[in-house]
Parts: sequence; C-alpha cells; structure tokens
Amino acid sequence: MKKDIEQYLRDNAPGIPDEGQFLIETNARLRNVEGIKQTVDTERRRGRSILIITLVAGLVLGCLATLLVLFYPARSAADSSAFIQALEALRAGREFLFGGIALLSIALGVVSLGKKRQTL
Amino acid sequence: MTREQFISEVRACQGRLRRFLASLCGDAALADDLAQEALTRAYVSSGGFRGNFKAWVFRIAYNCFIDNLRRVQAPAASLDSPEALHVADRAASDASFRHEELQRALVRIPEKERTAIVLHYFEDLKVQEIAAIMQIPAGTVKYHLSVGRDHLRQYIRL
Repeated sequence: MKKDIEQYLRDNAPGIPDEGQFLIETNARLRNVEGIKQTVDTERRRGRSILIITLVAGLVLGCLATLLVLFYPARSAADSSAFIQALEALRAGREFLFGGIALLSIALGVVSLGKKRQTL
Repeated sequence: MTREQFISEVRACQGRLRRFLASLCGDAALADDLAQEALTRAYVSSGGFRGNFKAWVFRIAYNCFIDNLRRVQAPAASLDSPEALHVADRAASDASFRHEELQRALVRIPEKERTAIVLHYFEDLKVQEIAAIMQIPAGTVKYHLSVGRDHLRQYIRL
C-alpha cells in the first residue's frame, strides 16, 4: 500500500519549468537590490571587525592584568580600601545591577533576533 | 558572492526551486513570484554564505512560502469536502489528468505534510535534508511523510 502511493508520487512528479523569462526578470531584480546588498555587506564586515577588535582588546587587557598581578603580588586588591568600598557599593545596589544586566541581555537578544530576521 | 556567480548558481537550481514552490502553492505564477522573492533575499544576504547553495535557497523559499501563507490565510479544504470527493471519484486515464489530480490533492493536505512529500518524492531529498530545510527534527519529517501519504490516499485513485 505504501509502495503504491510512493510509486504514484514518483511517476507523477511535475516537470521542471523552462527558464523562459524567469532568469531575465530575476537578474533585473537583483540589479535593483545591489545597493541594499552593499549596505548589508558593509554592516556585516563592520560587525565582524568590531567582534575581532573586541576579542583582541579583551585578550590584551587580560594578559596585561595577569602580568600586573604576577609582577606586583605583594599588595592584594582585597587590602585596598578603594576596592572594599567598590565591593560594598556593588553589594548595596546589587538588585539594580542584576536587574540592569537581565534587561540588557533581553534587549540584546531581541535586537539580534530582529537583525537575523531582517537578514533573511 | 558576485551577481554573476549568484546567477550561475541560480541557473543550476531555478527549475527545481520553481517546481517545489509550484507544487506547494498550486499556482505557477505565484510560485515564480515567491521564487524571485526568495532569490532576492538570498542575494542580499549572500555575502556571508558558506555551504550548500541549493539547500540554503530552498530553506529561504520555504520561509517565503510560509510568510505568504500567513499573509493570505487561505482556508484549507476539509478532508471530506464535496470537492475533494469529486476529485477522488473521477476516472483518471491520462497523464495530464493524473498530474492535475495530484496537484489538487496536494493543495488539500496540510502545508507541512505537503512540503515533506514534495521535497522527498519530487526533489529526491533525504529526510535529513528536508529536516534542515523545514527546520524541524528528522523524526517529525518522517511523521509528516507518513500522515501525508495517508491523507493523499483519500484524494487520489491509485
């Protein structure tokens, strides 16, 4: 029974349509969106550059921070009064801090989804 | 990807793409419009494209078809509608009538089943490839194929 319907479908598959005007019209349409494509390509290249610059900057700063800690181990950060004050300030406003981070994450997610949808 | 490169890729797969869309929407003119819309979208975002061009274009074309379906919201015919029974009762003798009968039957089944059937039996794609185009698990594609065959049997005379 399954074989019957499968055979029927394969035997009666529609033919492939001729190119006809289709490719000419498609080519004309593609020529019209050339400007949009260039903008999208520029945005994509810029996004990739920003990503690479951020990655390199993060690596360099991380290396510098590690070197500083290795070369100046005597005074730990926990002994610094400025560090303790900063920690206390963070602790006092942690609800706002975490709320802000959550809102920022949601906003970034929405923006990136919107961008992806626009791309397709 | 330059326009010339893109057109040469399109030349290789445009016939199958249009047949796929024509089988989905049952209207050759609408299928060509959707194919052009899909190719335009593909071209605009082709800068970052890597991989299987045909599968990628088919996925965009399927998304265009779904978008169009949502815009139009055409009511699907019921399985036991009088029109459907009329199709099943007609004597099928020549090839052109069988094509027409199959096309009428296809537009009456749900779009996910139709898509799976068309890609599997007309375009000879594997279940995994269909899953990638429809963005659903392979098991779900097998389910749609099975249920789709059952639904088609109610509209066509074997």
